[in-house]
Amino acid sequence: MDGMHPGTTLPSRDAWEKVTGEAVYMPDLVIPGMLHGKLLRSPHAHARIRGIDTAAALAMPGVACVVTGSDAAALPAPVYGVVLWDQPLLATDRARYVGDPVAAVVAVDEATAFRAAQAIRVDYEPLPPLMDVDAAMAPGAPVLFDEPAAGPGLSVGVGSRFLRDPAPNVLCEYGFTYGDAEAEFAASAHVFTDSFAFSKLAHGFLEPLVNIARWQAGRVELWSNNQDPFVLRGDVARVFGLPLHAVRFHTPLVGGGFGGKSYCKVEPLVALMARKARAPVRLAMSFDESILTTTKHPCTITLTSGVDAKGRLTARRADILLEAGAYSDASAMVAVKSGFRIGGPYRWRAMDSLARAVRTTTVPGGSFRGFGGTQSSWASESQIDMMARRLGACPVAFRKLNALDPGEPFAPGDSGMDSDLAAGLDAVTTRLGWTAPLDAGRGRGIAIGLKDGGGTGNHAQAIVRVTHGGEAIVSAAVVEIGQGARTAICRLAAETLGIDESKVRYAPIDTDHTAPDNGTHVSCGTTVTGLAIVEAAAEARRQVMDFAAGALGCTPEALVLEGWSVRRGNEAHPLEPMIRRHYGGMGWEFIGRGAFKDPYIASAPLNAKNMFWIPCWSGAEVDVDRETGKVTVLRLVVGADAGRAVDHVACIGQIEGAAAQALSQALFEELRYEGEVPVNAAPLDYRMLQTPDLPAVFEGFVMEHGTGPGPGALKGIGEAGMLGIAAAIANAIEDAAGIRLTSLPFSPEKVLAALDAKG
Amino acid sequence: MQITLTVNGLARTLEIAPQAVLADVLRDGLGLTGCKIGCDQAVCGACTVLANGLPLTGCSTFAFAVNGATITTIEGLAEESLHPVQQAFATHGAVQCGYCSAGMILSTVALLARNPDPDEPTIRAWLGGNLCRCTGYARIIEAVQAAAAAMRVAA
Repeated sequence: MDGMHPGTTLPSRDAWEKVTGEAVYMPDLVIPGMLHGKLLRSPHAHARIRGIDTAAALAMPGVACVVTGSDAAALPAPVYGVVLWDQPLLATDRARYVGDPVAAVVAVDEATAFRAAQAIRVDYEPLPPLMDVDAAMAPGAPVLFDEPAAGPGLSVGVGSRFLRDPAPNVLCEYGFTYGDAEAEFAASAHVFTDSFAFSKLAHGFLEPLVNIARWQAGRVELWSNNQDPFVLRGDVARVFGLPLHAVRFHTPLVGGGFGGKSYCKVEPLVALMARKARAPVRLAMSFDESILTTTKHPCTITLTSGVDAKGRLTARRADILLEAGAYSDASAMVAVKSGFRIGGPYRWRAMDSLARAVRTTTVPGGSFRGFGGTQSSWASESQIDMMARRLGACPVAFRKLNALDPGEPFAPGDSGMDSDLAAGLDAVTTRLGWTAPLDAGRGRGIAIGLKDGGGTGNHAQAIVRVTHGGEAIVSAAVVEIGQGARTAICRLAAETLGIDESKVRYAPIDTDHTAPDNGTHVSCGTTVTGLAIVEAAAEARRQVMDFAAGALGCTPEALVLEGWSVRRGNEAHPLEPMIRRHYGGMGWEFIGRGAFKDPYIASAPLNAKNMFWIPCWSGAEVDVDRETGKVTVLRLVVGADAGRAVDHVACIGQIEGAAAQALSQALFEELRYEGEVPVNAAPLDYRMLQTPDLPAVFEGFVMEHGTGPGPGALKGIGEAGMLGIAAAIANAIEDAAGIRLTSLPFSPEKVLAALDAKG
Repeated sequence: MQITLTVNGLARTLEIAPQAVLADVLRDGLGLTGCKIGCDQAVCGACTVLANGLPLTGCSTFAFAVNGATITTIEGLAEESLHPVQQAFATHGAVQCGYCSAGMILSTVALLARNPDPDEPTIRAWLGGNLCRCTGYARIIEAVQAAAAAMRVAA
């Protein structure tokens, strides 16, 4: 925790709103005349729905309507998902996990809706559950879906393949190969095979999922806390068979997302509830229900990796089995990204990776801060460390020997490494005191997590409006979820316009007015949308200069913009009176538009070159208590490369915040199932990191290697901090106690079992 | 039933249901939506408000149980300018999504009222009842220390 950074003495507008309670979030919003919804959820992991009796619920005073799967099934396109569509608005013929929404009640208040939901009688015929990947892939296992998933699927490039429904209960698979792995293994001095497990996790955002829908004059308007309003606009339009301009999404500040508010969740259902109730409807989920909506994919990853006699990595084969849960959600993306990234930041002569997303009767897996990157980094950086130790090599030196050099392509056809990996490693080992003596029972570990950033073929548009008074309104669809997007984007616009940051505001997001983007995912806001913002601001600035040049009878090149004046030689001309004189009336706005599109390139493995790389340099010092099995993280150091830090404090905050989530996951977080039931899907039972759990020393640092593709060489870092933490801690545990933990979390039970096994 | 509260300096007489919790009365009855409801089970601390200077979780406190109390919510903290704790949170990176901020800030105000110079273990122990999923807490602890220092100088 270092001291204050320059430029932080004045609160940003964003922070000011949030510390005064003025900031408005979805749960604070009231629409006149709105009714309230509650969901009835399945108590069975897998059951046929033979009938739903809503009579008793409908007879209750204050109940407006009950929506069931048959209402949903009558819609033009009643399923949704990310590129693969299989999730119904409500369970229709079958419920597929404990918590699957089966019916939705609309009533005058939440308490009435809740009571009415309890009065609904569902006739279930229990079916065999598929609680894990093994059960789902076993020969003769019941098949969860009668038909293959709809939807466009994913196009991938050279070296990659993407298949949907390759086997019963397998939603999709992604394969990524280059070189001849078999030949490389045969020629390797050593080949190691190790398996790793990653647990099922909840996002744990504090602001519950809340949606309000209202139908008016043939269109539907939604207020929603989400990360991708334009994606949702498309989903709702498709589900209801509406043109895009008949769907309007408002997205206020979001109280934490981490991917859990990405993509379609219950938005179409709330629209359907409002349509049937003929009134605006608000559906506010509880914290428990958020956990039952989407999770991070648990997985097992088996890695076979070779090394030559000089300690150079040769080839890797990866088998990644992701537990996708009951519905597709973002599983296709997670499969692709985990399979693609499994090599980590190293030079491999051959790669042969297979990632499969397997359907089970559990809460669906979705995006969670890194689309499979955390899972891959956990397995890869654990095995790299194990290999170094087995070879008697220093884990730092082994990594440096094999790390990609700056500019070296990650894979054939893809972009080059745009961070100095060795410099980051040095920064971590220095802060960690890598070579200092250690007390007994203590150990140190490091890791370099890695993911690609910015999205694949991503795009964004932006509008910058500059008033005659020299104030700017920036309009883009990056959702403020705590990452500091509003501040950073306003700063980029202010830099380009040459005006003070206090003169720039970020407009509320409304799909009727906001310029679209692909969503607040993949650490892309300041890079992808940032480029569009800078272009829009530059265009607005050009208009200002052209106007001034016209008014003064000179060329724009003869003028210098300073503050809100133009200067020609030693004559200053304030712009506002000049603009008012010319336009009269209420004044004028200079409206600039900008756009960015990362092109598709079929010769790149993912059909587009990766925009930038997100390494996460992590280091941990731990104490392992041999009597209790408790792991105490004494020191945690984590850094990332922002290219250029537009907001240094915000960058540090992103890195530390992500690292704390990963620390929590490494030490104790896990959504646990007993039989068919998630037993800790509630805030009291789902343990998350609190202040007393913090390591004594917890240090985030931001590097600026100056080679990002965004404005002024910046690049995104929002997901970085998670990637290497679990592996760094596992590596430190081995250093401390000579035991290797290969499954998360590192509970005292697992530590004691490993110590016993070691003897 | 009827209760009286002094909320952010204003005397209020309120007609409430016996089962009404303080957070709902503040949010729905008085429009003080700065009191956030996160977990709704007294775990996350987002709904923390001060009753007679002491922090309590509004989501799980019956409104009748605080009849007659002086309540401070985040909306009542700033006067001419930001309260030093607000100022420190806003300028030390202690705020990301902001959903926990009101509760964190009010908990901190209560801590500094009883201990103007808390050491780091004391701060960590005190804030254990306030969850933040965004920041990783380090900047929050730094902000608490900065606010304490600023308030000691001003006192």
